[in-house]
Amino acid sequence: MGIWETFTDLVEAATPWSTAEAEAPAEEKDSAQDEPQEAEPEEEAEEEAEEEEEEEEEEELVDPKEKLEEDCKNSKVCAPAKHHYDECVERVTNASAEDEGKEDCVEEFLHLAHCASQCAAPKLWSVLK
Amino acid sequence: MLARSCLRSTRLFNGARNGANTFTKRSFSTSGSGASTESPTKLNIAAVASTALAVGSVAWYYHLYGPTAHAMTPAEEGLHPAKYPWVHEQWFKTFDHQALRRGFQVYREVCMACHSLSRVPYRALVGTVLTVDEAKALAEENEYDTEPNDEGEIEKRPGKLSDYIPPPYKNDEAARAANNGALPPDLSLIIKARHGGCNYIFSLLTGYPEEPPAGAQLAAGMNFNPYFPGTGIAMARVLYDGLVEYEDETPATTSQMAKDVVEFLNWAAEPEMDDRKRMGMKVLTVTAVLFALSIWVKRYKWASVKSRKIVYDPPKASNNVRT
Repeated sequence: MGIWETFTDLVEAATPWSTAEAEAPAEEKDSAQDEPQEAEPEEEAEEEAEEEEEEEEEEELVDPKEKLEEDCKNSKVCAPAKHHYDECVERVTNASAEDEGKEDCVEEFLHLAHCASQCAAPKLWSVLK
Repeated sequence: MLARSCLRSTRLFNGARNGANTFTKRSFSTSGSGASTESPTKLNIAAVASTALAVGSVAWYYHLYGPTAHAMTPAEEGLHPAKYPWVHEQWFKTFDHQALRRGFQVYREVCMACHSLSRVPYRALVGTVLTVDEAKALAEENEYDTEPNDEGEIEKRPGKLSDYIPPPYKNDEAARAANNGALPPDLSLIIKARHGGCNYIFSLLTGYPEEPPAGAQLAAGMNFNPYFPGTGIAMARVLYDGLVEYEDETPATTSQMAKDVVEFLNWAAEPEMDDRKRMGMKVLTVTAVLFALSIWVKRYKWASVKSRKIVYDPPKASNNVRT
């Protein structure tokens, strides 16, 4: 520790491009000991069944993507796609036994999903962290 | 051709002016070489015909080659993902390292059960995702082969920072056997390896509908996902709301987890991105400085040339120069 180090430390502290060290601060040592317990997914999988029940009671998370896309599907923009899809579902579910398997609604579903995701995509990122 | 025939007809006009006796000769010759009286109609016809030919050939071309032939149905093609405004894809933005940390947690708790991340060593996580101590602790949870000892035996040792994240299966066959014949791909380069990149993986993870659309045919053990080409994917939906518990208490919704894990996987695929962008900035900055410098130097070097004035000052003409 010469006097030169004092200068370099000062310069490093002042320069905006000084590197951030990856080492953990001393306080975090307690949390580092907890880490290994968290990092055992196998054990957690067993406990998950119990935890899930608790979580459901605690809070009900709503996926913003699903909510936004649902709103989009019912909006005016996707009305034609939804109309076609609903019509197709009705037609296919009411099809007679012979016609079964001849038609599917995948393409109509794709159009609807495309419309909904395009409509929800710009809004979603403002909700997510 | 047109110009030549016009010239010829004017010449014939001149001949007609000369005398009536040339009339017969003229009528003969004009009938042969396109009459001057008929030429507007004929020219019109020619113009219309050539235009019709042009329009017709364009139309025929588009009839033949215009419509693109799609060999696959939209379902086989898979739904193209929507474009999401990923922050880290912007030019002057880095990865969100808080998101990387969350994404790594999702990978470790959810994806790691089936997918390997074979190209990422623990040392790569240090400073970007984990601290040194955390990474070391994580590495030590796994056992790796040592170098052969004095007797040639290979023993096991706890992992070090230089070790790679261990795969969940011993080999591809074991992975297939455990997953109904489907091989879970390695995720280290998956963002680069899939058309659509981040958007595709995000859409794939969050795009499972509650039930497949009416009439959709699915093979046994397959799940419906509109974004997967062919719509039948062996991987079932894995991300459900509240599946993991984030240490920074971000609400772990499906899309939040998908976003985080996709960002983490993008980091895994191109860990050099932050450095690459910084290097790009450096290049631009240095180039800008050099460019400015070169302009000043040029001004300096040319100053004498630009600012000089050549004056010719002729001697005054006078008769009494040599007096």
